[in-house]
Amino acid sequence: MNVMKDFQITRRGFGFLAAGVAASAMLPFAARAAGGGAVAATFPGSWEDAYRAVLTPMVKDAGYDLTIAPAMAQDQLAKIMASPGNPPYDTLLMSPGQMAVAIEKDLIQKIDPSKLKNWGMLDPSFQGEYGPTVTIEVNGIAYNPDLVPKPKPKGYRDLFENPAYSGKVSWTGFASNTAVMAYTEIAKIFGSGPNDMDAVFKLFKDHPEHLKGVVDSTNHQMTLFQQGEIAVFMCSTGNVARLKSLGLNAEFVQPETGSPAAPVNIHLTKGTANLDAAYAYMDAAISKAAQDQLKEPPTEMFPTNKDVALTPGIEAYVTRDQIKTMVYPDWVAINKNRDGWIRQFDALVAG
Amino acid sequence: MKASGFPYVLPMLLLSVAFFATPLAVLVGFSFAGPGGATLEHYARFFGDAFNFRVLVNTARLGLETVIGTTLLGVPIALLYWHGGRNLRQVLIFLTLIPMLTSNVVRTFAWIVILGRQGPISEALVGLGLTGMPTSLLFTELGLVMAMCQIDLPLIILPLIAILSRTPVQLTEAAQVSGAGPWRIFVTVLLPLMLPGLLAGWILVFASTSSSFVTQAVIGGARNVYVPQLIYREVGTLFDWPLASAIAVVLLLSTGCLLVALTMMSRHRRLVGHA
Repeated sequence: MNVMKDFQITRRGFGFLAAGVAASAMLPFAARAAGGGAVAATFPGSWEDAYRAVLTPMVKDAGYDLTIAPAMAQDQLAKIMASPGNPPYDTLLMSPGQMAVAIEKDLIQKIDPSKLKNWGMLDPSFQGEYGPTVTIEVNGIAYNPDLVPKPKPKGYRDLFENPAYSGKVSWTGFASNTAVMAYTEIAKIFGSGPNDMDAVFKLFKDHPEHLKGVVDSTNHQMTLFQQGEIAVFMCSTGNVARLKSLGLNAEFVQPETGSPAAPVNIHLTKGTANLDAAYAYMDAAISKAAQDQLKEPPTEMFPTNKDVALTPGIEAYVTRDQIKTMVYPDWVAINKNRDGWIRQFDALVAG
Repeated sequence: MKASGFPYVLPMLLLSVAFFATPLAVLVGFSFAGPGGATLEHYARFFGDAFNFRVLVNTARLGLETVIGTTLLGVPIALLYWHGGRNLRQVLIFLTLIPMLTSNVVRTFAWIVILGRQGPISEALVGLGLTGMPTSLLFTELGLVMAMCQIDLPLIILPLIAILSRTPVQLTEAAQVSGAGPWRIFVTVLLPLMLPGLLAGWILVFASTSSSFVTQAVIGGARNVYVPQLIYREVGTLFDWPLASAIAVVLLLSTGCLLVALTMMSRHRRLVGHA
């Protein structure tokens, strides 16, 4: 039997099929052109789901279409750089590390706050000239209480010095913002300062059992945590909220040396053709109505709008006063060294 | 080809130039781009780092291991198809094609469950008393090869089936009548017949495995680094596109060399006989 003979199609049929495929491929462009909407890059996973569910209807009410396009911050940058002058996204969502790169490479533009009705609801520290801060990601240590020894880990030092954690901790490389923030803290503890990464590399060499748990990204760690493959990993409160919402036994620890934190900002890409829609989306993201929903599980995003009261769940992690005392890394210094750190760490992990 | 047939291939030719040759030329151009004009600096940087060279070797080894694994699994399945009746053949085709209709990402994440500490492999090993405690094959090359073999198996089964479908089953009976044993029939009759299909399958499996970014990253973890991850790191994290292009060209050339060698083998009359 010839398997290929079982599948037959006429030339006309093939023509219709090809035309259909071509038309469906053009649909996103057509929809965008017709609706005058914005394409907003958003982190994949819970961010994507929440922004699509909460913000898309709000922007629609303001008279614009909104397409939520999931992409990690690094991927957003790479895609914007690949199409200069014709950006695939109207807005980007990123932390200061990537924002510094975007400014340096002239990929984003300063915003006009007068176009945002809710601008005044933000604390001045959240009113960036390159876009508003929509939440603060507070980082720390996630653990599965069924799999780690009691008492819970106090901080990063515990993970390396308490043999009970051997083989249970997972790390990611320096490409991850979460990981970089943790490594700068570890460099302070075991080295001479946040940029003394040789101390961190030495630590991993002295504890090779930790190298076995190095994976590519926090997203992979979430999957591995679900499967019970890992018991401890560096993450944000948002990651833990997501795991809890999936019914998993996950807890969060603020390291005794302080929680590294990263503001998450919306930026306007340079050359965007849908300014009004982009501003409508930005305004919706910092509105009380949106943040009142985004602060609830499963996202539990820290609200930057002053009128939004914190939930008991968020207050258990961090209060408004504590936000000021979080550890905010020096991203300029990190970006300067990141290339070398990534290469060194990857070579170390590969053995 | 007759000269009058040229207009019919023209659209395909234009499409190939526009969507294959031009992007490839851009990629190659990028790999030589330097501030003062064309430069070999990016290739020198790639080969100057022993780590990169090791990654290249790892990638080729992964491709070869998967080729061996899929061959060992694919040949018996193809022979079963060849000897089977209509119903068995339909079942085998169905089982071969269905996984191909499932996203590679989904299949990869399913392998996390299979290879994990609480997965069926670990439980079987513990149950048989081969290991005292649950064992995870995640982040190991063995686990990655197992996953790649399952994912790429159809790529070797289908060319083999295509070849065997044209071959009468009575051929083995004729060889038996002539006094040949099963192994002799396999080595002297079936293997030369299947070789063109095997070579086509090997090319597909090797190319697919060596460029399978998602599976390599998820199952292999960060300890097993392969060329696609290196390219992604340069593009998406370090934004060093010229170096990424140079690495992509090196991967393309190294895979291309192997493909050319296999293609030449497939045209060798002494090797493939009169198949």
